[in-house]
Amino acid sequence: MANVSRRNFFKIGAVGAGMIALGSTAANADTKKVKYDEEYDVVIIGSGFAALSAAITSAEKGNKVVIVEKMGRIGGNSVINGGLLAVVHSPKQKAEGVQDSVELYMKDSMKAGRNINHPELLKVIATRSNDALNLVQKCGAKFYDKLSHLGGHSVPRTYLSANGSGSGIVIPMFNYLKKMPNVTIKRRTKFEEFILDDTGSVVGILAKEKYRFDSKLKDDDRENKTGKEKYYKAKKGVVMASGGFSRDIFYRKQQDPRISDDADSTNQPGATAGALLKAFEVGAVPVHVSWIQFGPWACPDEKGFGAASNFNINATFRYGISVNAKTGKRYMNELADRRTRATAMFKLVNDNKNYPINICDQTAVDNIIPELAEKALKAGVVKKYNTIEDLAAAYGIPLKELKETIKQYNNYVKAGKDPDFGKPVDKADGVQIAKAPFYGTKGVPKLHHTMGGLKINTKAQVISTKTKEPIPGLYAAGEITGGTHGASRLGSCSIPDCLVFGMIAGENI
Amino acid sequence: MKTKVKATFLFCFFLLLSCLYANSQQEESTTLSSNSDAKIKVTPEQKEKYHLKPVHAQLYFDCIFCHEGQGNNPENFEAPDEEVCLACHKSKLYLAKRLEFMDTLKANPHNSVHDGPNLYCDECHREHEPSVNMCSECHLKEIKNNIWMKATP
Repeated sequence: MANVSRRNFFKIGAVGAGMIALGSTAANADTKKVKYDEEYDVVIIGSGFAALSAAITSAEKGNKVVIVEKMGRIGGNSVINGGLLAVVHSPKQKAEGVQDSVELYMKDSMKAGRNINHPELLKVIATRSNDALNLVQKCGAKFYDKLSHLGGHSVPRTYLSANGSGSGIVIPMFNYLKKMPNVTIKRRTKFEEFILDDTGSVVGILAKEKYRFDSKLKDDDRENKTGKEKYYKAKKGVVMASGGFSRDIFYRKQQDPRISDDADSTNQPGATAGALLKAFEVGAVPVHVSWIQFGPWACPDEKGFGAASNFNINATFRYGISVNAKTGKRYMNELADRRTRATAMFKLVNDNKNYPINICDQTAVDNIIPELAEKALKAGVVKKYNTIEDLAAAYGIPLKELKETIKQYNNYVKAGKDPDFGKPVDKADGVQIAKAPFYGTKGVPKLHHTMGGLKINTKAQVISTKTKEPIPGLYAAGEITGGTHGASRLGSCSIPDCLVFGMIAGENI
Repeated sequence: MKTKVKATFLFCFFLLLSCLYANSQQEESTTLSSNSDAKIKVTPEQKEKYHLKPVHAQLYFDCIFCHEGQGNNPENFEAPDEEVCLACHKSKLYLAKRLEFMDTLKANPHNSVHDGPNLYCDECHREHEPSVNMCSECHLKEIKNNIWMKATP
């Protein structure tokens, strides 16, 4: 097997099988026989937050950079998420008089992450989140005036992109990169294999250009035969920034057999495990791969993240309540971490699809970006009712109990303390459920974030199972990495994770 | 010993496959380059298989209008780059402006909140098969409720 030429090795790979059996030859094969089609200093896989920030920092150092994106669309999950970015010691915190610290950020994250987080990575994110904010603002990203206060955070620390989506950050970054002469962005180009030299360093990749992702296939990574092979040399390094695997039906089920094949996800269809598995093949340490997060703010009446999610994140959970439709009673702290909330909600949902109902009033809606409410209402996933009676009737909630729950909750807000579930009602700006009209929406948790992935160190270098040292030439950032968020990630902590470690990967190459 | 035999067999099998693959690639490229100037004859069967959208059919487009320099065998044609579409349709920002009436809630697909003018035309518009609406991956409700655009042409 050691005599297999490099060329044939990758040809075989391209035909689509036997890679694991042949994987051990990768480090021994003769890389000199690979005829490179193109040469770069840095090859970046993916085009979301992590990829774009890695591209900016490495290209600004004068490196010749290529971004390789398998989808036709730029930005992966980063262009479709809620655009929420937690920053410690930010200018807005200063303006709003919020006392925050790196330690508090870490404490909040560790609590949600059930203490299995890798603290050294968390610390880097907290410490450098302001640098990431500066980076995207330099590109032209704009943010909503007020800080958001998301579930599980002790204090408000979350910036919300001005257009209410991650695209408000991605598009400026993408436009910024398009102006740089030393950056090439290749869409519909899929990373296929790593090219390693004799010492096991990553020195290039095999890609397929003119690749067409096919969401009709059960397993695109394995079954899709489109595209033309190209070899790219990576003189200084390869950055894996290809995201998570929430849409990989096979792989997610291996990690958590409770996840049914038809379970909905907020992710874009290209979020599969292909690139992650290739990194495992070259020896990357797997971390927390089976910890998969559900977003508790989604709605069963629509597909994906949809329009209700942002409404719930910003309005109903912060300024309102979530009730059991059968009993009219609250059943959780609406601002707990995602894992706590998803677990509480699944208890109801699994009881004959008894979807919980999230409720808030007009004052709450007046406190959020008007577009978020408008979109959700027009989509028909959030509904407006003139009275609590109407709302209760629409969802079949027992009226007397619901009224009692609301009265009690309003008293908790007044007192600044929720003895039932410990919701930080003192941070709800005194907003009660009192002013008509009232808003209601059905809730369900959806597959949102894969916590686990590749082990990286604080320099964004991928660690090898074999040597316990960095794999030379291999970097990773964003959702493809694991450990940072432990068992459950706090909302708005992924964007700083992606941006910070992307930035660091670029700085270190 | 047994594993070694198996491995050798597997290796030969893949080598064979890879040769076949390489050859098929070779043939394809020869056909394309040597016949790129030839006239394209489109049989009724092919016309049926690769039928055009009504608007383009009315304009009597032949294959080469979009597949210029791609040989004379429609089986080997590739999807043209978006520049080919934009040669007639100008630019996505122009289209976004022209179709502003669709722009309820900033959903104008040619310059959307998420993608700006950066989507490839054929993410949604297909010439030889039914078009799709990529936005429906997440916004099915808005489309079903007719808040947004109509069926993708």
